[in-house]
Amino acid sequence: MKRYLLFVVLLVGLLVQAACSNSESKAAPITVENVRANMTMPTDTGSFWMLITNNSDTDDALLGAAVDGCGVIELHDMVMENDVMVMRPVAGGKIPIPAGQTVELKPGGLHVMCMQKAAPLALGTKVKIELEFANAGTITVEGEVVEPAMSSGGMNNN
Amino acid sequence: MMNRTTWGVFMILCWLVGCQRPYQFAGTLLPVPQPAPDIALESVNGPVSLRDFAGQYTFVYFGYRFCPDVCPVTMGKLKQVKADLGNRGNEMAVVMITVDPERDTPEALAEYMAYFDDSFVGLSGDPEAIDAVGKPFGLHYHQHQGSAASGYLIDHTARFFLLDREGNMILSYAHETPLDDLLRDVRHLIETQ
Repeated sequence: MKRYLLFVVLLVGLLVQAACSNSESKAAPITVENVRANMTMPTDTGSFWMLITNNSDTDDALLGAAVDGCGVIELHDMVMENDVMVMRPVAGGKIPIPAGQTVELKPGGLHVMCMQKAAPLALGTKVKIELEFANAGTITVEGEVVEPAMSSGGMNNN
Repeated sequence: MMNRTTWGVFMILCWLVGCQRPYQFAGTLLPVPQPAPDIALESVNGPVSLRDFAGQYTFVYFGYRFCPDVCPVTMGKLKQVKADLGNRGNEMAVVMITVDPERDTPEALAEYMAYFDDSFVGLSGDPEAIDAVGKPFGLHYHQHQGSAASGYLIDHTARFFLLDREGNMILSYAHETPLDDLLRDVRHLIETQ
């Protein structure tokens, strides 16, 4: 009986170790970091920025997102053309995330745009955002509500 | 060759007669100051013209509330400039003139601007009046079709402007101008002019 128990314990240990080492050596196909939410203003809109990395060998694309308190979400791009800010929904309604690359959603550029915002959120609030990818499926991440001018990570980097 | 003493005397004389390099503004200095148009727009407290801000250094920005980051980033930087000026912050004013008068009522703009600073002023009005005020600033804006949710989006000039205490446009700034550079310029003007 003792031998049997010892065998079971060793087996479970080996399985746990194998599972752990497997998860450490193989990164998730898509990782999302530095999620910031510009949601404090008393307006109907807000925006989200983040870094999305495709760790896989296959191209992927961000197709959409969902956030509690945002009636509608669209993927937008913004560019400066001769000091004129030009904002448009992204071409084809998706943001390509090429294999092995990191795409930055940032102020003055690509962003997840929240419309029909239910209410402004307090600074520092943690917000869950559900991101839908063409290949990786749905990934839920958490972002922090930041000051609009701080949304690029530093007042001097705007 | 000048010896050390002669060089030292030369440098002191140079300093005394003003040989220092002139101050370099981070913004683009207008060759000739341009008077801001004296055209009334609508604030929550009634008609206001840019000339009403004479006595203060006044930043003028053309934007709209629906704008998700370019406008709030600029307002946020100007809020911080004012705060960093400390007890001289009341010598600076900020005015945002909407390019979306259809959605931005004076009341909605007042709430938006107060979010940044109680002293910031939002102005709306007839499109014709906004165009007339914006013309000397080179204002460009263009409404284009958005989705069912957004209705429409507006491309607009993101450059912003600084009026002197006499209500003349003297400097313009690119959207990307860092906060520290804005602060340095305003501080220089307040302390030397």
